[in-house]
Amino acid sequence: MAGGQERILRRRIKSVQATRKITKAMELIAASQISRSQARIVANRPYRNGMKRIIIEAAKGDPAAAKRLLAPPEKVDAALVVVVTGDRGLSGAYNSSVMRAGERLVTSLRAEGASVRLFAVGKKAAAFYRFRGMEVEESFVGIADKPTFADARAVASTIAAPFIDGEVQQVLLVSTRFVSAGSQVVEVEQLLPLSMPDVPINDEPKKLEGYTEFEPEVEQLLFFLAPRALESEIFTALLEGAASFHTSQQRAMAAATENADELGQTLSRIMNRARQDSITTEIMEIVGGAEALRSGK
Amino acid sequence: MATLKVEIVTPEAALWVGEAQALIARSSDGDFTILPEHTATVGDIVPGIVRVETSEGEVAFAVHGGYFQVETSLSEGWTNVTVLAGVAEKTTDIDVARAEASKGRAEAALGASARGESDDTPAHLVAQAALERAELRLRAATR
Repeated sequence: MAGGQERILRRRIKSVQATRKITKAMELIAASQISRSQARIVANRPYRNGMKRIIIEAAKGDPAAAKRLLAPPEKVDAALVVVVTGDRGLSGAYNSSVMRAGERLVTSLRAEGASVRLFAVGKKAAAFYRFRGMEVEESFVGIADKPTFADARAVASTIAAPFIDGEVQQVLLVSTRFVSAGSQVVEVEQLLPLSMPDVPINDEPKKLEGYTEFEPEVEQLLFFLAPRALESEIFTALLEGAASFHTSQQRAMAAATENADELGQTLSRIMNRARQDSITTEIMEIVGGAEALRSGK
Repeated sequence: MATLKVEIVTPEAALWVGEAQALIARSSDGDFTILPEHTATVGDIVPGIVRVETSEGEVAFAVHGGYFQVETSLSEGWTNVTVLAGVAEKTTDIDVARAEASKGRAEAALGASARGESDDTPAHLVAQAALERAELRLRAATR
């Protein structure tokens, strides 16, 4: 019956509109988080750059110790992989693209004969990897949205322990880099041994005169600096991951809202036609009935 | 006269950036003062108070451990000091009531764990560190 169809359509339109309200709200929330998390990346930059400068200075002061701490490993028997994802879904391809990159990395490491231990930031990774037969040893949950430096410290101390004990020779980080508001890229970075000195630190190279003094001796200094540098790297990755997550979620929710708009429009058009149809049918019936009565007279 | 530019930064924010006459702090080798034209240096900072002397008076910071770097160019006449600290705050920003409360909590936790025999359990170490931070904050705020 035509009237029944109209009622069903009305119900569907209502449900689409309710969903649209939710996606719109999520879009606005994510948008407000973007600027905040971007500001945190900017605020973190002086610390990160300062840490790099100090490490490089210390590495220049004692190349032998630096080589032990910073040189790439000769042979990797066991590696540790950290994947930075979000705690929540509904964020487009943000989670899946990091996790897929992590999966590829693990597969290629295993193909080279290394054993891999897997750690994750975010709630989503454990289920994803279990389904693919990889076990996540530990997930850090509840820190992906608004990471604090203390969170970064906790992650750093957990993943540094196997490296310090010699159980793994390499620690790799898979995370999303926030290049700009329009572009976020999934990158694999070697965390340990620290790979910092290869990174260009400053646009204009400052020329420093003379030699550098160290307090305490440089070897000791480097030994204590390395964990701080690791914390700093992880914190930056967490901040950029959070910003990328919010950006990605905002984009996904904007698309969902637009989609809901379109669907609602299509549905109400169909509904209007159905209503018009039923009215036309009704008029035809009345006219037909009147005609029949008149001709019957 | 060469200038001395001081930067005190934490991972969350740059706490203070500006021109200064001197920076006074303590490394594991002892107290030190950085003046303009100080030679290039890299070192650590033990938990304590870092003082910056500016033309408008002194600014002090409670720094809970960190590192510093001095860069100098004699020909261009500048000296930069960067203090990197995981946790640090300006002494005037310290919430004394909160520091008192966390000191009380840490002492209570230490008292509880002192009844057990071992003193290197994670909980004990955490409480110890919290107590040291709270005491430094109070010392810095009530200087």
